[in-house]
Amino acid sequence: MSTTYYDVQLLKPPVWTWEVPVYFFVGGAAGGAAIIGSIAEWTGTSGHLARDARILAAAGAPVSAALLTADLGRPARFVNMLRVFKPQSAMSVGSWTLASFSATTTGALVPALTTVAGPTSAALGAVMLTYTGVLIGATAIPVWNQNVRLLPVHFAASGVASAAALLTLMGHDDDALNDIAMGAAAAETIIGAIIETKRSAATRPLRHGPTGWVIRAGGVLSGPLPLLLRATSKRPGWRRAAGAMALVGSLLTRLGWIAAGRESAKMKG
Amino acid sequence: MRTTAFLTDSTLCIGCKACEVACKEYNDVPADGYVFTGRSYDNTLHLGHSTWRHVAFVEMDTALGVGGNAGEQITWSFVSDVCKHCEHAGCLEACPTGSIVRTDVGSVYVQPDVCNGCGYCVVGCPFGVVDRRPSDGRAFKCTFCYDRQRDGEQPACAKACPTQSILFGEIDDLRAHAQQRLDTLRSRGIDDAVFWDSGHTSVGGTHAMFIVRGDPEAYNLPANAEVPTIYLRDGWRSAAAAALIALAGTAAAFLARRTTGIG
Amino acid sequence: MPGLGTSFGRGGATTAQQDLANADAILIMGSSMAEQHPVAFRFVVDARERGGTIIHVDPRFTRTSAMADLWVPLRAGTDLVFLGALINYVLQNGKEFREYVVHYTNASAIIRPDFQDTEDLAGLFSGWNEDDHKYITDSWLYDGLQTDGSSSEESSSSAHGLWGKSRGGQPMKLVPEHRDMTLQDPRCVYQLLKRHFARYTPELVEQWCGTPKAQFLRVAEAYTAASGPDKTAAICYAVGWTQHSTGVQIIRAAAILQQLLGNIGRPGGGIMALRGHASIQGSTDIPTLYDILPGYLPMPNFEAGTHDLQTYLQQNGTESGWWHNTDKYTVSLLKAWYGEAATKDNDYGYDWLPRITGDHSHQGYWLEMDDGKLEGLFVFGQNPAVGAPNSRLERRALSKLDWLVVRDLVEIETASFWYDSPEVERGELRPEAIKTEVFLLPAASHVEKEGTFTNTQRLLQWREKAIDPPGDARSDLWFVYHLGRRLKARAARDPRPRNAGLNALTWTYREDGPIREPNAGEVLQEINGRTTADRTLVGGFRELKADGSTECGCWIYSGVFPEPGRNRANERQSHDALGHGWGFSWPSDRRIMYNRASARPDGSPWSERKKLVWWDSATRQWTGLDVPDFTPTKAPDYQPPKGAVGDDALPGDAPFIMHTDGLGWIWVPIGLRDGPLPTYYEPLESPLANPLYPAHPTNPPADRKERGDNRYVPVGDERFPYVLTTYRLTEHHTAGGMSRHVSRLAELQPEFFAEISPALAKAIGAEHGGWVTVASPRGVVEARALVTSRMPPLEVNGRIVHQVGLPYHWGSRGLVTGDSANDLVAMSEEPNVRIMETKGLVCHIAPGRRPRGRAANAYLESLMRGEHVAHHRVSH
Ligand SMILES: Nc1nc2c(c(=O)[nH]1)N[C@H]1C(S)=C(S)[C@@H](COP(=O)(O)OP(=O)(O)OC[C@H]3O[C@@H](n4cnc5c(=O)[nH]c(N)nc54)[C@H](O)[C@@H]3O)O[C@H]1N2
Ligand SMILES: Nc1nc2c(c(=O)[nH]1)N[C@H]1C(S)=C(S)[C@@H](COP(=O)(O)OP(=O)(O)OC[C@H]3O[C@@H](n4cnc5c(=O)[nH]c(N)nc54)[C@H](O)[C@@H]3O)O[C@H]1N2
Ligand code: SF4
Ligand code: SF4
Ligand code: SF4
Ligand code: SF4
Ligand code: SF4
Ligand SMILES: [Mo]
Repeated sequence: MSTTYYDVQLLKPPVWTWEVPVYFFVGGAAGGAAIIGSIAEWTGTSGHLARDARILAAAGAPVSAALLTADLGRPARFVNMLRVFKPQSAMSVGSWTLASFSATTTGALVPALTTVAGPTSAALGAVMLTYTGVLIGATAIPVWNQNVRLLPVHFAASGVASAAALLTLMGHDDDALNDIAMGAAAAETIIGAIIETKRSAATRPLRHGPTGWVIRAGGVLSGPLPLLLRATSKRPGWRRAAGAMALVGSLLTRLGWIAAGRESAKMKG
Repeated sequence: MRTTAFLTDSTLCIGCKACEVACKEYNDVPADGYVFTGRSYDNTLHLGHSTWRHVAFVEMDTALGVGGNAGEQITWSFVSDVCKHCEHAGCLEACPTGSIVRTDVGSVYVQPDVCNGCGYCVVGCPFGVVDRRPSDGRAFKCTFCYDRQRDGEQPACAKACPTQSILFGEIDDLRAHAQQRLDTLRSRGIDDAVFWDSGHTSVGGTHAMFIVRGDPEAYNLPANAEVPTIYLRDGWRSAAAAALIALAGTAAAFLARRTTGIG
Repeated sequence: MPGLGTSFGRGGATTAQQDLANADAILIMGSSMAEQHPVAFRFVVDARERGGTIIHVDPRFTRTSAMADLWVPLRAGTDLVFLGALINYVLQNGKEFREYVVHYTNASAIIRPDFQDTEDLAGLFSGWNEDDHKYITDSWLYDGLQTDGSSSEESSSSAHGLWGKSRGGQPMKLVPEHRDMTLQDPRCVYQLLKRHFARYTPELVEQWCGTPKAQFLRVAEAYTAASGPDKTAAICYAVGWTQHSTGVQIIRAAAILQQLLGNIGRPGGGIMALRGHASIQGSTDIPTLYDILPGYLPMPNFEAGTHDLQTYLQQNGTESGWWHNTDKYTVSLLKAWYGEAATKDNDYGYDWLPRITGDHSHQGYWLEMDDGKLEGLFVFGQNPAVGAPNSRLERRALSKLDWLVVRDLVEIETASFWYDSPEVERGELRPEAIKTEVFLLPAASHVEKEGTFTNTQRLLQWREKAIDPPGDARSDLWFVYHLGRRLKARAARDPRPRNAGLNALTWTYREDGPIREPNAGEVLQEINGRTTADRTLVGGFRELKADGSTECGCWIYSGVFPEPGRNRANERQSHDALGHGWGFSWPSDRRIMYNRASARPDGSPWSERKKLVWWDSATRQWTGLDVPDFTPTKAPDYQPPKGAVGDDALPGDAPFIMHTDGLGWIWVPIGLRDGPLPTYYEPLESPLANPLYPAHPTNPPADRKERGDNRYVPVGDERFPYVLTTYRLTEHHTAGGMSRHVSRLAELQPEFFAEISPALAKAIGAEHGGWVTVASPRGVVEARALVTSRMPPLEVNGRIVHQVGLPYHWGSRGLVTGDSANDLVAMSEEPNVRIMETKGLVCHIAPGRRPRGRAANAYLESLMRGEHVAHHRVSH
């Protein structure tokens, strides 16, 4: 074991409270929705689905902004986020993404702008899905930076899953939507397995203690369970149940990872 | 202006905490709590939003020890820690508002009027230095007394140090001095003294350098700290991949259903 | 500081902090210099960097020990065994600096045949008077001298260098009539010394101090090896030495050691008395003490019959040596105070001076207060409710006053005793029942007023005012001046004789600004001295006269303001290593006192490496790197002509010019109340009996002030089996008024703690960081347990002795609060300076918090009844 200074933790734990993980959840869902929306539109599959997805995305954006602002020590200074653009700061990239994402998703609702705004919002939605993984991955927190490759995929899957889940709960029953949800759930299942098998000191909080259980619960709820339900039956009730699980699972996942970060800061990296 | 730095030489430190007090007095830093820790004479324990200089106290039963004490009896060593003012500073890279800047003396400075308290620098620092002050909402850390340096003054902590344990000056001079100092110490039989500046990692060296005895980790000076920006490449790579899969996958799903739908 | 005063002639550190850097070895003992004098300690670090050996002897391993090459523990209170053994080591191994000892000290002097040593009288020197517990010190004199045989009661002032011994009639010529330069005569000081310390062996050190013999020998070898013609070693001490019932003699032992090794008056040598408050040296020079006047002139003493100036001067003046000038300094002082009204016919107002009529020391008058004999009290810059011994008694005593005026920066415990002291919590004091009227007045701090500090090396430094005092806060000078003005105004209307002195008092200083601040510069000029005729400033004390033509507020400071516009205390151009050009070091800006001793008798330096001042035969003058502490033109071979007096009566090779014989006093023939040589006595409270003098375990003339509310326990008492010592932390200041109320400091040491060894913690079942209750016969306090191997148990006389350490900074007020260690300390008086013994007493310690309210006292009483005697028998 390496020497420590009275076991005083070297790293500072993340200061973020519930707002940030919830923002990850909402932003992810909105990003996923934007993609589903514009691709549904583009492939002309289902008008209703496209519209609802777009509304979801457009609604998610301001909620996300609100959550982010709420977490700031100086909320009044949210605009400072757009003072500069710093590619090397995932937080900066994220802020600009969120800003333009809000703009394009709203724009996409305006018939005149749809053709341009739609695809753009989808592209930005893809960033919304993934950048949060980079955001926490590129930090000094061991459990996060040790999983910097996994996190964007993980969060993307989680985001798509929750978007699909929300649309399912809104009554959409398209098979395409169901395939997407199953794809995401499948991805989450694999990721869950990877987390369980990846054994290193830094990843302990993902498997042990309260954080371990939250992550595990999140994994099961967003991976194997919904996958099983959707695979075994086409019944709308079952699909809605799967959706509900995926939603909770996605939320727990985000909460779990931030909590794990706090734990990780306590340990010697 | 010239590039300045600290060389904190713990072999000259008497643990008087004058640096800690001078820092608070000059920068008007609020109290950091009145808690008896029982950790030797250290009741502030670590750097933070309201402790910008921190003196560590390590009692050992034998081994270490100055001169005649060596190996014979208990020893007590003191190390005055401070923001490292990294060459590649995690906090600065992370800051989305541009609040944290590199000054013309090479130090890393948080502009209080720009900081919006997003807290990203906190997880960006590999040394657990900068932190968000709950009572204020903004992030704070050592300013390297930039205002004093502008006025040709040395930082308050260095000025207050009675034993020149905190040397302040041109970074190259101090590096050179550190090497001479190590030689002197070795010639005096103190061969466990080491130089610390994280120069061998992605941090690329610090503007706060240290000479300590024994294992730097014993004073929370980590051996292999990395600046978190090194994780960006991998991060964005898999982000891009994930994004494409999401887009492609979704498209595939709809296209697949559409064809089957027609057929 | 009588230890230094009687040994060398002046009661001040013999050297300058900067000069410590030149030492080849530094013995720090009775001080934690790195913690309590961090800025001065830089020069110790310099010495170490230059290859000097740093030695720290302390019961605890402190921050100073951490910087030392050698740390050696000892049982608190046993320093005299340790130092006696060092002296013995030097004598037994012929390590002394022979030539220096023979020429510059009184080692060669023959002592009166009727002198008997403690070795002969089982712990008493000859002259002990059992009835009044005092010594008649005549037999300690040089052979052939005598006095009128009265006891040395009045010689308190001698303590400070001037020996004010009643000798009704002529000033005695205190010069050894017979000297044996071969140091062979059995009655010469050298031989008496050798005999006196013969039993102080390394074995005794191991047995009694608990210091392993090998470690002691390493210290002895290292220290003596660093002394000689081309080497010097210095000693630094502070209150770890002074606050003992034998404090003065501990310092005497250091003085003897340094004289034997030839370490006085030479660069890198000397004794660095580390003083306390920023200007505590100043407050002995221009005293806040009751028994001396400015410049160490004795306060007239009623019992001594010093009823007129003539008698006073006869008693205190000397025929030979510098104190021959006593008349000039006394008259000039009286002229400064009483101006025009002071004439030859009225003894220059001598009658208006108060007389000492008893023990007016802190403990003395505080006990009278407790007995209801005091009406009112002014407390300026002091917090006795926390800082003074037996603070419980002192707080209760305050409630017996009619009025109390406290001037401080904050509301300290001394001002709030009537509503938030532990005594109120314990129901001993009821606010509604206390008659004392308390006035708390805001004082300006040092940055809010101008004036001088006199620091630990006798250096006067002028301080500008940085900011105006806030609100009603005023400087002490302002308060005293305006109070004086008003009192004088009243006295003017009241012709009673008691007011004559007040009416005569010169009290005119320029008033500046809207708040009418008296001009501190003018006060300093009055201190410097002027001619009475045209009020021109004098250049130094050599210009002072006894005929009333000069006035001088404090002769030793004379020269600090030699001409208008030249305030030397305010000079800031240091132009050499000793700091000349920065401030003014009394006397006459000499940085290293007695520096004539840095040259051989013939006037040439002892060595190139250690040269300081020397005789320049070309210019026939003393010259060098410091201001010579010697008459500049007195040749090394000068021999006094018949009938010469004063300085002229001293030969050219006599460096200690304040002394009647110009010699360093290894032997103090007069001026101390507890012996011509230091002798080991146990602290007044100790777990062990005295191995050397079982019949007289403690310092015979020490005054225990034993009474119901100031109880002691006998030697080796089972109820209080542990040694207790108290001390400071860098993070706090004394009684806490300036630290517990300041967040930057308070947060660094938030709680009162007890330092104990893992072994003791285990024995009593205390947990690190948990609570312990510490009690003495005087009181009971609770503290956090700081379990550390820095507080080692020691094997003493075949058994393990545990020591408990308590910092004494806490009280009931401030950002951080806690019990006061001084609730445990006894009010006792060392015989010469009447200081209390805070560094070596006994205690009981148990895990857990102390009982609250009245239960706390009940607990103490049950301890006294022996109900909690530690069951684990302390032994190995
Ligand atoms: N930071 C700070 N500095 C200060 C002060 C302060 O309160 N805080 N106070 C100032 C004042 S007023 C003064 S008088 C000086 C005092 O300065 P010091 O005398 O250095 O202060 P202390 O800590 O009281 O005692 C010093 C050491 O004596 C040791 N000691 C205790 N008993 C014995 C004994 O029997 N023998 C020996 N050899 N050592 C013993 C203690 O363990 C302690 O380490 O400091 C001055 N400087
Ligand atoms: N157990 C134990 N007891 C001890 C000692 C020990 O070692 N052990 N040491 C003893 C020693 S050496 C000392 S010096 C005493 C100290 O004990 P005290 O002198 O009683 O305590 P201080 O806190 O120094 O009191 C100084 C006060 O003066 C105030 N003050 C500061 N500047 C000014 C000013 O300009 N004007 C006025 N009017 N007030 C001012 C401060 O706020 C403070 O309250 O303690 C003694 N008591
Ligand atoms: S130590 Fe931390 S806070 Fe200081 S510059 Fe480096 S990264 Fe920034
Ligand atoms: S908290 Fe302030 S300084 Fe830190 S990253 Fe955010 S904006 Fe920059
Ligand atoms: S440089 Fe200035 S801000 Fe930094 S620790 Fe020193 S005093 Fe404090
Ligand atoms: S001021 Fe200097 S000596 Fe004192 S603790 Fe700080 S670094 Fe050490
Ligand atoms: S006197 Fe002043 S400067 Fe000197 S050590 Fe004490 S606090 Fe520091
Ligand atoms: Mo003191």
